[in-house]
Amino acid sequence: MARPVRRGGYGWLIAPAVGVLLVFFAYPVFWLLLRSATDPHWGMQNFVTVFERPVYLRVLWNTVAISGMTTLFCLLIGYPLAYTMANSSERVRRLLVFVVLIPFWTSLLVRTFAWMVLLQKQGLINEVLVGIGLLERPVALIYNRLGVLVGMVQILLPFMVFPLYAVLIRIDGSFTAAAATLGATPVRNFVRVYLPLSLPGVLTGSTLVFIISLGYFITPALLGGAGDLMIAQMIERQIAHFGNWGLAGALAVLLLVLTVLLLAAMHRLVGVRTVWER
Amino acid sequence: MGTLAAVPPGASAERWWSRARILVCVLAAIYLVAPLAIVLIISFSSAPFLTFPPPGFSLQWYENLMRNPMWFGSLLTSVKVLVPTAILATGMGTAAAYGLARTSFPGKAAVTGFLMAPLVVPVIIVAAGVFGVFRKFGLYGTLTGLIIAHTVLTIPYVLATVSAALAVVNRQLEDAALTLGATPWNCFRRVTLPLILPAVLSGLLFAMVISFDELVVSLFISTPIVRPVTVQMWSNIRGDVDPTIAAVATVLFLFSLCALLAEHVARRHSRATGHV
Amino acid sequence: MNNAKFRTMVESGEPVWDVVDVTIEFLYNGVTSDLFEKLDLSKINTDRLSPIYVHDYGIADIAWSYNIGYNTEAFKEGEHPKSWADVFDLEKFPGTRTLRDRVAPMMEIALMADGVGMNEVYDVLATDDGVERAFAKLDTIKDSTVFWETNSQSQQLFTDGEVSCGVILNGRAFDAAQKGGPVAIEWNQNIQSVDYLVIPRGSKNIEVAHGLIDEMTLAENQAKLANMIAYSPTNPDAFAMIDAEIAPWLSTSPENAEKGMLINAAFWEERLATLAEKWEAWKLS
Repeated sequence: MARPVRRGGYGWLIAPAVGVLLVFFAYPVFWLLLRSATDPHWGMQNFVTVFERPVYLRVLWNTVAISGMTTLFCLLIGYPLAYTMANSSERVRRLLVFVVLIPFWTSLLVRTFAWMVLLQKQGLINEVLVGIGLLERPVALIYNRLGVLVGMVQILLPFMVFPLYAVLIRIDGSFTAAAATLGATPVRNFVRVYLPLSLPGVLTGSTLVFIISLGYFITPALLGGAGDLMIAQMIERQIAHFGNWGLAGALAVLLLVLTVLLLAAMHRLVGVRTVWER
Repeated sequence: MGTLAAVPPGASAERWWSRARILVCVLAAIYLVAPLAIVLIISFSSAPFLTFPPPGFSLQWYENLMRNPMWFGSLLTSVKVLVPTAILATGMGTAAAYGLARTSFPGKAAVTGFLMAPLVVPVIIVAAGVFGVFRKFGLYGTLTGLIIAHTVLTIPYVLATVSAALAVVNRQLEDAALTLGATPWNCFRRVTLPLILPAVLSGLLFAMVISFDELVVSLFISTPIVRPVTVQMWSNIRGDVDPTIAAVATVLFLFSLCALLAEHVARRHSRATGHV
Repeated sequence: MNNAKFRTMVESGEPVWDVVDVTIEFLYNGVTSDLFEKLDLSKINTDRLSPIYVHDYGIADIAWSYNIGYNTEAFKEGEHPKSWADVFDLEKFPGTRTLRDRVAPMMEIALMADGVGMNEVYDVLATDDGVERAFAKLDTIKDSTVFWETNSQSQQLFTDGEVSCGVILNGRAFDAAQKGGPVAIEWNQNIQSVDYLVIPRGSKNIEVAHGLIDEMTLAENQAKLANMIAYSPTNPDAFAMIDAEIAPWLSTSPENAEKGMLINAAFWEERLATLAEKWEAWKLS
């Protein structure tokens, strides 16, 4: 097996990208993380603060709670959607892919703004609800948890639907057919056979949505109320309002550690390839 | 008998499930598309508020977008950032993808992981770090700073897209060209590049769209003088909102849509000509 | 522009701005952090300004106030909230509230709502019990409150009918009302404040910057601004050139000024950092 051509010598092509990322990505991130242990002086004081003061614990809890709820609702809406995509005619499938992709390709800011228009007191939804007599007076749909969830679920739904769809489309119909012949009712069939087979998709989609939610900034900032502050907003506030780089660094460390741990767990459970598959 | 008895409840559960499913799909479709549709409609409103339905048709907000130096200037800034960003990211991303695909060395997986890292690290962390460091580099509040930051964020997209295409390129074609005496550069230009061109183009489009859309990092490192359109939108959303913002939203949307369609056409074309 | 961005700009060594309008608390705070160029007062005609508006590092350009604002569709004039206690009374005056998302001067407002007189606010606030008392009062309306960060945001909240009453600046209320928004203000218990023009340290155009500041204290220029957004001039000669219908909106008009109090910038200089953190904690609790 003689190798006819000398391969290699292409390694240097990686250098520009690696160089740029080292200087303008890795260094800044590292610099920020380092603040957590050096600002205002060496030590763990910033981490102590984060875990001692109720404010920061509350922010951490908010972040996890909002991300968890977002994930749950994405799953509740995304599963039937992905199932339909995987078990429909080509036309319906295409239409659904389009419907899910369109918002995926529109600016996050634009979509969040759209929700502000729709959900405000004099917005369409309140006006319709009052108009048909369901409500006596407009209710607050934004600047609270509800607003954050409505916005985030819509934005993150594609990240649930596509990994799920990728798994569901590959589930062999003969399994469920076999179970049905063996007398399983459709419900039993679904719970015992289909659901376990779809679990990798559920896991991948949920982890993705959860991880992305953790670092969310724009949507909670625009649609949330005072009590819905998430960790990313807290990092921004620490820097912009208080110039407290140490605390911002500590919060960044926590956010990054959580993200990486979850990604690693997902990697172990389902293999990382599915993440980038579209 | 047992099976016969099991059929009716089972069938009704199935019917229930499929109806529920259709209902969820329809509602989800409305949920996903309606907000966008409303923004598009409001951008043509004749009223100075975000009332819906609009009382009449008007192009005044598009006119304002073009005439108002604050809006037009920021739009121009965004374009000045996204063009170099897309070119730089595509160049470096494609080179890196090719380098990674055609060499093997210890730690290659780690390098690949590192190059994809900007996708994984929450953008707020990148933004805060870049804000802190770019001051020292003299890049805070400059076009160059924005271009560099956006390039960093878009390289992974190009890398992923091009790598996927390279993975299925038939290497024997390259080998043949090299054996026949082609220089590596010629081999790349004449053999590989045409094969991966659709992926490179879609990487370029990806980079443009992401740069155009980027807000968080820009928010940290831009100043009112060098201010991309998303930052302008952000400060407007949190203040004097008028339908101009819906007009910008529509422009952003159309830009993404064009990119999406262009990508689609490129793929279809490459499929038709037998490429990947 | 907020504190950290200003600091960043100064630390970068090349400030993009040469003249910046800052609130009085920011002026005091910024001087201790060495953010501003010391002014060469010989280059600015300070004679035409009231001496209280001249500082070594800043020249006051406008005076304004925090007011009780209300939506005129929610409450008729005369039946509107007339004190901060009314604003905190959810039963008598139903609807969503709005407060500024800053600890200053929301503490003062909460204490006034709790019955503290305008003259005693800072004495009470100087004690830990006073701070607790302010937050306890704020607790009573927290669930019905939207917080605004920028002035235009406050204006939008009132104009859209998103809130029924709360904190708004006099000039912003004027602007909203001028544009047909259902917004009006009450002058009782207003809190008066002042903005200063400063030169960021490291400015490359110090000479011209002084010139601009001087220009901005000219009576005719200050009158133009007042006619646009009802912020009071610091040059007394400007009052003669302000439209008659603007006068009732000005915080410095005697009948308005006597109903209010002055913000105590020295108090906030010492306590801003600790109370700001408490404010954040309170909002989340």
